[in-house]
Amino acid sequence: MKRKVISMLLIASMAAALAVGCGGKEESGDAAGGTAGDTAGEENQGNEEQGGGSITFMAPDWAIPTDDQLKAFTDETGIEVVVNEVGWDDIRDKLVTAAAGGQAVADVVEVDWSWVGEFYAADWLEPLEVSDEVKEDMPTLETFTKEGNVLAIPYANDYRLSYYNTKQYEDAGISSEPQTWDEVYQNCKTLKEKGVCDYPFALPLNAEEKTSTYLMWLAYTMNGVVFNDDGTLNKDSVLAALKYEENLIKDELVDPADKTSSGMDAYKRILSGSANFLTGPTSFVSKSTNEEDCSVIGEITPILVPGKDAKATVTMALPEALGVTKFSENKDEAKKFIEWYTSADMQEKLNETNTAIPTRNSVLKKLIDDGKIQNAGAMMEEAELIASPFPGGIPAYYSEMSNSIYNAINKMALGEMTADEAYAEMEAKVAELAAE
Amino acid sequence: MPSLRQNNMKKKILPYLLLTPMILIMGVLVFYPVIATFSYSLKKWKLTAPNDIRVVGLRNYAAILKSDSFWYSFRNTLFILAVVVVLTTVLGFLVSVFLNIDVKWSGILLAVAILPWALPPYVNGILWKFVFSSGYGFMNKLCIGLGLVSRPVEWLSSRWSLLVVVSLVVTWRSIPFMALVCLAGRQSIPEGLYEAARIDGGNRRTIFRRITLPLMLPFLGIGITSTSVTAINVFDEIIALSGYSDLGKNLLVESYLTTFSFLDFGKGSAVTYLVMLFAGILGVFYLRNLNREVEY
Amino acid sequence: MKAGKKIGYVLALAVFLILTLGPFIWTFVLSVTPEYAMMEKNTKLLPDEMTYANYKELLTAGSQKGSVLITGIKNALKAVGATLLIGIPVSMMSAYALSRMEFKGRKIIRNLLLITMVIPVMATIIPLFRLFVDRQWLDDVFWLSMVYVSSYLPMVTWLMSNYFATIPKELEESAMIDGCGRMASFLRIILPASYPIILSAALIMFLNTWSQFQIPLILASSLETKPVAIVVSEFMTKDSVQYGLTAAAGIIAVIPPAVTALVFRRFLISGMMGGAVKG
Repeated sequence: MKRKVISMLLIASMAAALAVGCGGKEESGDAAGGTAGDTAGEENQGNEEQGGGSITFMAPDWAIPTDDQLKAFTDETGIEVVVNEVGWDDIRDKLVTAAAGGQAVADVVEVDWSWVGEFYAADWLEPLEVSDEVKEDMPTLETFTKEGNVLAIPYANDYRLSYYNTKQYEDAGISSEPQTWDEVYQNCKTLKEKGVCDYPFALPLNAEEKTSTYLMWLAYTMNGVVFNDDGTLNKDSVLAALKYEENLIKDELVDPADKTSSGMDAYKRILSGSANFLTGPTSFVSKSTNEEDCSVIGEITPILVPGKDAKATVTMALPEALGVTKFSENKDEAKKFIEWYTSADMQEKLNETNTAIPTRNSVLKKLIDDGKIQNAGAMMEEAELIASPFPGGIPAYYSEMSNSIYNAINKMALGEMTADEAYAEMEAKVAELAAE
Repeated sequence: MPSLRQNNMKKKILPYLLLTPMILIMGVLVFYPVIATFSYSLKKWKLTAPNDIRVVGLRNYAAILKSDSFWYSFRNTLFILAVVVVLTTVLGFLVSVFLNIDVKWSGILLAVAILPWALPPYVNGILWKFVFSSGYGFMNKLCIGLGLVSRPVEWLSSRWSLLVVVSLVVTWRSIPFMALVCLAGRQSIPEGLYEAARIDGGNRRTIFRRITLPLMLPFLGIGITSTSVTAINVFDEIIALSGYSDLGKNLLVESYLTTFSFLDFGKGSAVTYLVMLFAGILGVFYLRNLNREVEY
Repeated sequence: MKAGKKIGYVLALAVFLILTLGPFIWTFVLSVTPEYAMMEKNTKLLPDEMTYANYKELLTAGSQKGSVLITGIKNALKAVGATLLIGIPVSMMSAYALSRMEFKGRKIIRNLLLITMVIPVMATIIPLFRLFVDRQWLDDVFWLSMVYVSSYLPMVTWLMSNYFATIPKELEESAMIDGCGRMASFLRIILPASYPIILSAALIMFLNTWSQFQIPLILASSLETKPVAIVVSEFMTKDSVQYGLTAAAGIIAVIPPAVTALVFRRFLISGMMGGAVKG
């Protein structure tokens, strides 16, 4: 009986579907796609009627302003902002796919520092105008400048800062913070020998972007140079940094798990006390005071990055910026939005609402002085040392170069290559790319 | 007379009418893009050199076939393919036999069995990364806890063990489909055939060989084809388990890197085409061997 | 013999449950483990402290992450609905024509359709994107579902035509002799006999749609259209790897297909276990 009922039901529904045929399909389409299609339509209409009174903004979640902030912008300028929130890892793919089809995926888009060279070569970004005063206050602007063109304006700062666990130092009887990389190395050895910390050095070795950048800033802070003027690797500096990493691995000062776990996991080891020393993102200043993230609150101190004979005189920044796509039809409005977004006033607000670290040193200083950023340590001092290790700006072949660097390091970490072999492999690839 | 002719016409047109929606969908959304991609693969088209796009014939293919990196990825693809297809077929079939046993809770078991399928591949990769992570993942906690090893095993640190893990993870996600297809195949065999065979005095073995297996072949065929395609196109799980590392990269990772990271659309499209060609050869092989039409 | 069989069954059951559910259970454990405890070096399988903060964050009404997740689930369900409404009738019509009708080009059409199974997404996605931009189909669930359907059609059509082929021809012929037209005999004979395969096909489409990732990422990643799979992956980004939250979101995201499978198991089982045609 039951089966009969079911089959009747099925026949009825199928017959209906067949009878209605195409009509049914269209209906379903309208019903399902209605909202999305309609809003898209409205947007386009809006663009035409108001002569560009609306822009689209594509960025990851941490860059999205609050509704109130956006409303304030609209009230002030009359420009509507349509937000398209996309995961950071996917933004590049979307930009690339769209640009390959000659389309603007949005008017204002996220631009990571590492994309600048490629995007400039591909001619996807509209040059922006920036006053000298802003240039002075925003050291990371240099990273987004190619041949005199400012391609994007950084909104979230992230520069390398060192952190160490002070309690573990005390436990091991080490009295002062490390000034040089050699000291860091010796102290790590002591920590391991005394059984205070098994794998004191947090070092990303997985085949990923963070592994490449680590080598770059290690070489940069150690020797002040990474690349020669023709874009090839500076052998003395990079090979020394690579050997430093190799020794850390050989002496087991680095967790074997760092070889395959994500770079972020390697960094995070310091938050559970499983690592003692880290040179990493600025965001660890706030992470080290957050109960949800950190189990050793109060033990981690941010310090200046060590150097060769004393503290390093430079540090590398990995900021994120906003740019205007070349294909955009609302460039003026888009530029206005970026100007507003990166203004001193907004940077202060965004720090409060999105925990963004300001790219304007004046704002950063104000926030630290006001006590809005806690446990800042050497944060301000280090920010003033930001410089770019790329002599001609970020190269157009950055991702291919980074891919060959992190793979060579990963192979070295897994014991398939020595530091010399790994260096030879990456040097050959970089030279080939630079020559193109 | 005219009505009969009309009827005949109708009869002739009807199959094409029925096929029209399918042909339209496939034509616009599959065949057209595939041909377009082929035209990309014949071009030098690097996005970072927008003023230098030109047709270069088969030069992209030649360059790829000469690179070690391609053949390394190809061997990884083959390994994953072999392990996944064999394991999925055997285990999927076993699960279908298991699910076919009629017990009170077999409905619930079926629901449980298809769960892994509902997991998006990327999430699947992350899930298993926790099981196999080199530090204190589940596997290492278990092995150390049981005293099998004294320190954490680095599951993902060598090429072959990484590929084995990737294959296992993909197998786990592929089994439900295979099991379901086998179950459907098993159920589509008319009970009458079995009865007849039993009356004719066939034992279980001959019934399996003479009836179950041949009648299930088309189903196994589609299951194996689809599993092969899945295995060749593994991507998310590799990225989740080992990142964009050279170690475990397969052809699809290679194609993704070339296209989206290095922005070489010409070469990337060519790699994709080679992957497709490879899968296509397999596909034709399956079609010829397993797509015998069932007649009664 | 009977006892041996029972032990064998129980053993098989245990292995099956551990291997299938194990990873889910482990994911659940991770979702209630505090973030800092995840990196701890010990062999304890369960955390000392359990925290439901991740679930709270995702399920609290009005929380940003929670509402994105719920929207993602709704979007995925919409795509499933549209896909089924288009996919089932289209594949049935094709399967019927291909399995039970004689006409010119049948073999070629059939093989051309089947061979598309081997085409990876990456071989079509860039031209598809251009097409979608030109036609303004981006971020539209209907056209997104059309793309899904195009990728399921070969498999589902094949399954269905195999099934239709097992229905004795005489049944249909006798119906036609009785005066039924081709369509009527299709509705009266083929359809009632094939609901098991229709349910299977629907389930296949449901599950495959649920785990789609690359296609919606490129073609429909606006907040109003992106499916839950993308939302979950977005909890793990460059600088904030929230494993616990991702695990919790993963668990929540598996609930709809799991519930569907549970609810429809009766239909599925009666369909599947009922066997084919009593001919």
